[in-house]
Amino acid sequence: MSARAFEALLARLYTDEQARRDFLTDPRGTAARAGLEPSEIDSLAAIDRVGLELSAESFARKRATRGPRRSAWRRRLTGLALWLRA
Amino acid sequence: MRDRVGLGWRAELAAGILTHADRIDLVEVIADDWFECGRRELRALRTLGAQVPLVLHGVGLGLASSVPVDGHRLEAMARVLEAARPEFWSEHLAFVRGGGREIGHLAAPPRTAATIEGATANLDRARTIVGSAPLLENIATLIDPPGSDRDEAVFVRDVAETANAELLLDLHNLHANSVNFGFDALAYLDALPIHRIHAVHLAGGRWISASGGQRRLLDDHLHDVPEAVFTLLEELGARSLRPLTVIVERDGSYPPIAALLDELDQARGALARGRARRVRAA
Repeated sequence: MSARAFEALLARLYTDEQARRDFLTDPRGTAARAGLEPSEIDSLAAIDRVGLELSAESFARKRATRGPRRSAWRRRLTGLALWLRA
Repeated sequence: MRDRVGLGWRAELAAGILTHADRIDLVEVIADDWFECGRRELRALRTLGAQVPLVLHGVGLGLASSVPVDGHRLEAMARVLEAARPEFWSEHLAFVRGGGREIGHLAAPPRTAATIEGATANLDRARTIVGSAPLLENIATLIDPPGSDRDEAVFVRDVAETANAELLLDLHNLHANSVNFGFDALAYLDALPIHRIHAVHLAGGRWISASGGQRRLLDDHLHDVPEAVFTLLEELGARSLRPLTVIVERDGSYPPIAALLDELDQARGALARGRARRVRAA
């Protein structure tokens, strides 16, 4: 099983709207061009389309709200709270 | 046996947590927030650990993958562990990147032998670089992961047994997946190696709709813990023979701290009911 290629294609489908549209138009062709094996192509042809849509939306929201700046802010506030308590 | 119930450390909740530390058995800190910081900031984490029992939780390693986990991330995790000295650390049974792309959150991997092999190798790598293995957490998923050849409970069990890992069972993730994909949450619980469950997450979520109107339950950590999740905690308490560490996770839309403390008490109550059932059955 070409597990890495499979994960790479899933990551692309979850994060790239155009790639997702192309895939939904031709799932077998997209999967074959990604170098997947026949059983993997079959599984992607039968993909849970509702789940794919909702997952992609959810991941996009997460990407928009996370990041180094937010982590730094959390650390500073933690330090401040502990300093105030001391 | 002493079960413990605590709260996810969030900066927004810091004042409430520190003020009510007598009602919070421990806190869980997101390790990844501290990966990029220097010694001075890590001292704050050490100070926090001196004031309240602490565990660490990772969100970005991507252990359930055929791709080897990034050594730099593991080294960063080791640094944070060294600073915080947590009782344990945990990570998700998820993949978070593929083909050089960051997905941005936890994605359910194909539930296959190849993923189990990859996760086991990644756990070994974590043991080598970090010095200890994380508890592995089941994740919520909005998609039935394609390419899978086994159901979720069997997958979690197989990874835990193959990698000799302990588990962090997220009961809202279990609840959400059970309603989204139509399986019996109690049967799932019975399929797991209960003796490997050391910690538990509780959270809430909301229903979302696809463009065609189909609904799925999203685990968003922005809502109260639903009754169904406390019921699952009671069931787990009735099945487990070991002390459990329970963490309530809340990532936003924060209610007053009193409401969160009430959720901790509800968790204690659910566990106590489950423990009492087990004692009666014995």
